[in-house]
Amino acid sequence: MQKRTLDLKRIVSRIDDLPTLPRTVLKITELVNDPKSSAKDLARVITDDQILTARLLKLVNSSFYGLPQRISTVTGAIVLIGFDAIRNLLLTTSVFDLFADRNKKKQQKQEKFWDHSLGCAVGAKVIGNYLRYDNIEELFVAGLLHDIGKIVEMMFQPHEFSKVVAVISRENILMITAEIRILGYSHAEIGKLLAEKWNLPSKLVQIIAHHHQPNDAGSFAMEAAIVHLADIFCRSLNMGSGGDNKIPPLDRIAWESLKIQTNAIEGIMETMRDEYGDIRSFI
Amino acid sequence: MIRVNIADLKPGMVLAHSVRNHQGVMLLGAGTKITKKNIRIFKSWGVIDVSVAGELDEPRAAGEMPVAEENEAVEMELKEKFSDVMADSVMVEIFNAASKLLMKDLPKNKNAKKNSRP
Repeated sequence: MQKRTLDLKRIVSRIDDLPTLPRTVLKITELVNDPKSSAKDLARVITDDQILTARLLKLVNSSFYGLPQRISTVTGAIVLIGFDAIRNLLLTTSVFDLFADRNKKKQQKQEKFWDHSLGCAVGAKVIGNYLRYDNIEELFVAGLLHDIGKIVEMMFQPHEFSKVVAVISRENILMITAEIRILGYSHAEIGKLLAEKWNLPSKLVQIIAHHHQPNDAGSFAMEAAIVHLADIFCRSLNMGSGGDNKIPPLDRIAWESLKIQTNAIEGIMETMRDEYGDIRSFI
Repeated sequence: MIRVNIADLKPGMVLAHSVRNHQGVMLLGAGTKITKKNIRIFKSWGVIDVSVAGELDEPRAAGEMPVAEENEAVEMELKEKFSDVMADSVMVEIFNAASKLLMKDLPKNKNAKKNSRP
C-alpha cells in the first residue's frame, strides 16, 4: 500500500512532463464549455489550424456520419454535428498524435493499442446505438481513451512497463492483474490522472478510471458499463491488442444494468465488426 | 502473393514475406526459394501458414483443408483467451458470437488477419 501511494505520487509529479493537448484543442474545449460562444467563434479557432480543419472535414464527410450531402465549410460542419461532437472529434484525433513515437518497435505496439482503442470506441458507439443512448459521440471518445493509461506507462515508465509485459507473456494473464501485482496500481488510475490533468469532462474521467469496475463510476456507471462491455467485445473480435491475450471477466451487475438481450449480442458484434472495418480505412 | 498452409507448401515456392516463429525470431527471409528442409523446420516450429509469391489459381483446388485448419486455429486461440471466464453464461454467448464472426471472415478476407496477430 505504501509503495503504491509513493509511486502514484511520483507519477503525478512526473505528469507535468507529459504532453499537453495542442493549444487549439484547449481553446476549443474552452469555447464549447462557454454557453455564450457561437458557431462562428468556434469556426474561427478551427480554421486557424489547417490540419484540424482538414481532419474535421474529412471526418464529417466520412461514413461515420453518413450525411447525405458533402460538407465543405467548417461552420457547416459545426452546425450539423454540434459543439460537443466537434470537441470530441478534435480531441480524438489530437490525442494519439501526442503519443506518436519514432521508435519502430514501440510504434507497432502502439498501433495495436490504437486498434484496440478504436475497436472499443466503435463497440461503445454500437452498444450505445442499440440502447438508444443519446450521446454516442461521447461513448466513442470514451472507448478511444479508456486505455490511455497504458500508453502513458509505455512511454513514461518503460522500465516498469517491460516488467509488466514480461509477466504477461510468461503467465498469460490480464494486463491489469500484472500491473497491480508488480506496480501496485493500474492503467485505469494513470489514465484518470492524465484525464484530470487535461481537464476532460468528469464523465470521461470516471469512465477511464472505472472501465474495469463500472459500478464505481457513480452517476456514470451506465457509460462505464458500456465501455466495459465494448472492451470485452473488441478483444473477442481480435481488434488490435490491449497488451495481453485474455478477456477480462464480465461484471455481472454492469451487464444486468444494461438490460441487453443475450440474443442481441451477435448482432451488436457483427455491426461492430463492419463499422470497425469502415472507420479503420479513413482514420 | 498467396497464403499457403504449411501442409500445401512445396519445395521451389518463393517466400513473399519472411517467416518467423512465435517468438518473432526470423526463420527464413522473404525472397528465398523454399527447400524440403525449410518446410521441415517450419513444421518443427509450429508455423501454420506462410506467404509465397504468385497468383491464386490452382492451389485453391486444395483450398478446403487449409480453411478447416484455420478455423480450428481461430477457435483454439479464442478458447485460450476465454479460458478464465467461461463459467459465465453471457461470456459463453459472446464466445460463440465471436467465433462465428471470426470464422466468417476467414476465407473471403485473408488480409484482415494481419490485424489479429497476437
